[in-house]
Amino acid sequence: MRKGQNHNTLKQLQVNLKNFTMKKILLVIILFFAAFAGLHAQTYKTRDGNIYFNPNKNQNNKEYSALSKEATAVLKVETSEVALLVPMKSFHFNNALLEEHFNENYLHTNKYPNGTYKGKLIGFDKAMLTKDGEYKISSEGRMELHGVTKDFKSPVLLTVKGGVATFKCDFPVKAADYNIEIPELVKPKLMESTPLNATISFKMN
Amino acid sequence: MKRIALLSLASLFFAGSTFAQDDLLADLKSEDSAKIKENITIATFKSTRIINMQSVEMTGAGNLQFMIIHHFGSLWDDKEGGSNFGRLFGINSGVANTYMSFDYTPVRWLNLGIGFAGFSTLEGTAKFKILRQQSGVHNYPVSVVWVSQANFNSSKSFESPNDLYWNRLSYVHQLLIARKFSNKFSLQFIPSMIHRNIVAYGIENAHNIYSLGIGGRIKLREKTALTFEYSRQLNMYENVIDKTGEIVSYSPNLFSFGYDWDTGGHIFQFFLTNSLFATNVAQLSVNPVKDNIGQWSLGFNLNRSYSVKHKVKTQ
Repeated sequence: MRKGQNHNTLKQLQVNLKNFTMKKILLVIILFFAAFAGLHAQTYKTRDGNIYFNPNKNQNNKEYSALSKEATAVLKVETSEVALLVPMKSFHFNNALLEEHFNENYLHTNKYPNGTYKGKLIGFDKAMLTKDGEYKISSEGRMELHGVTKDFKSPVLLTVKGGVATFKCDFPVKAADYNIEIPELVKPKLMESTPLNATISFKMN
Repeated sequence: MKRIALLSLASLFFAGSTFAQDDLLADLKSEDSAKIKENITIATFKSTRIINMQSVEMTGAGNLQFMIIHHFGSLWDDKEGGSNFGRLFGINSGVANTYMSFDYTPVRWLNLGIGFAGFSTLEGTAKFKILRQQSGVHNYPVSVVWVSQANFNSSKSFESPNDLYWNRLSYVHQLLIARKFSNKFSLQFIPSMIHRNIVAYGIENAHNIYSLGIGGRIKLREKTALTFEYSRQLNMYENVIDKTGEIVSYSPNLFSFGYDWDTGGHIFQFFLTNSLFATNVAQLSVNPVKDNIGQWSLGFNLNRSYSVKHKVKTQ
């Protein structure tokens, strides 16, 4: 009887100990994750990225030019990850009627309010941010526009100067790829794929 | 063991949440800063006019708009009989009123225009945007615009006692209050006041004529819409002595039904209205009584805008 009891308490102790160590291990794991997230995830954010485009075939004609100054972007230095979001309604055009068409008929901005990009910088190193200069890198990821998500790949020019890192990217967007319907009457005036120009600057301190 | 299971579940949850933070895009989306600062309602109406009456829409900043308003002859004339078909329901009748205007928006809240209204009549328009329907930083349920038009009759046949120039002037002042209820439906309320500097002597004749109007749009497809407007005159419409000394009664009502078509560059507005006149001053004050719909007329508005001052700067 006594032996059995002893055995029982020992077992309980073992279980308690096991519980205790499990708890400790879990705690350590949680702390580790928290620390990792907090300490090592150096991220930069901006809220006034610029995106410009002119869909006109004659690039000297600025009638249809549009610019958004409200692109939000985030860069995670450690993993070279980037994300960008632009509210479509923040694009303002030279021609107000075209702005209306852009929102109402082409991009349906009430239904699809944002254009987004999520991807990685290729050839990017965090040492670049500490030294002034120009670096030719590229980015690969996925872009969402008008409810359609497509693979994206483009060269990027990184300029670091005086604590500001500016990413410049010129890339084409083909309206048909994103199910954007352009009326036949307007089509002859527009480029088949519109060149876009994104300028995103991060202040690093 | 239960505890361990719970704890490990909890730890999974914690780990999961740290992974969720890794999704940069989801992070951005959840932030308020990612939302547009001022979500301003656009395209309450397709054009700067609902049909005959001004809408809360204004030509875009830095843009010049050219507009033609055309009212054809009456739909059907009983005396004409079968030749009404040849008259093409007024389109081919040879009687028409044309209104041609240019307007420019130097700053977002102000629009200035000049109109040529036919019969040597000139019109100047000033439109002020007071409120824009929007959500976000500010929350306004309606758009409010003030519009004033001055009408100058330069015709030689105009009877002006002592030939004073200001006798030739009359004015329309309107407060436009509109709400875009949904993508498909917009409604506008239009109290108007007309002031005529000269009126014939008479009991019912008034310098100030008031009316209340309502206008709306129902979108059919992306580029087409049905429109309507109605305005009711509140005074002066019965037993008025006109300039020739005759006693006349005017129609207190202005009815119009229209169809908007946006081609991508131009906006066409086809309409049927109970007024042959092309100016708001005439439509809202001295519109003759129409006994039947045959005396109504077809017409169209056509406008096109050009960006004169470029606000988008190339980098």
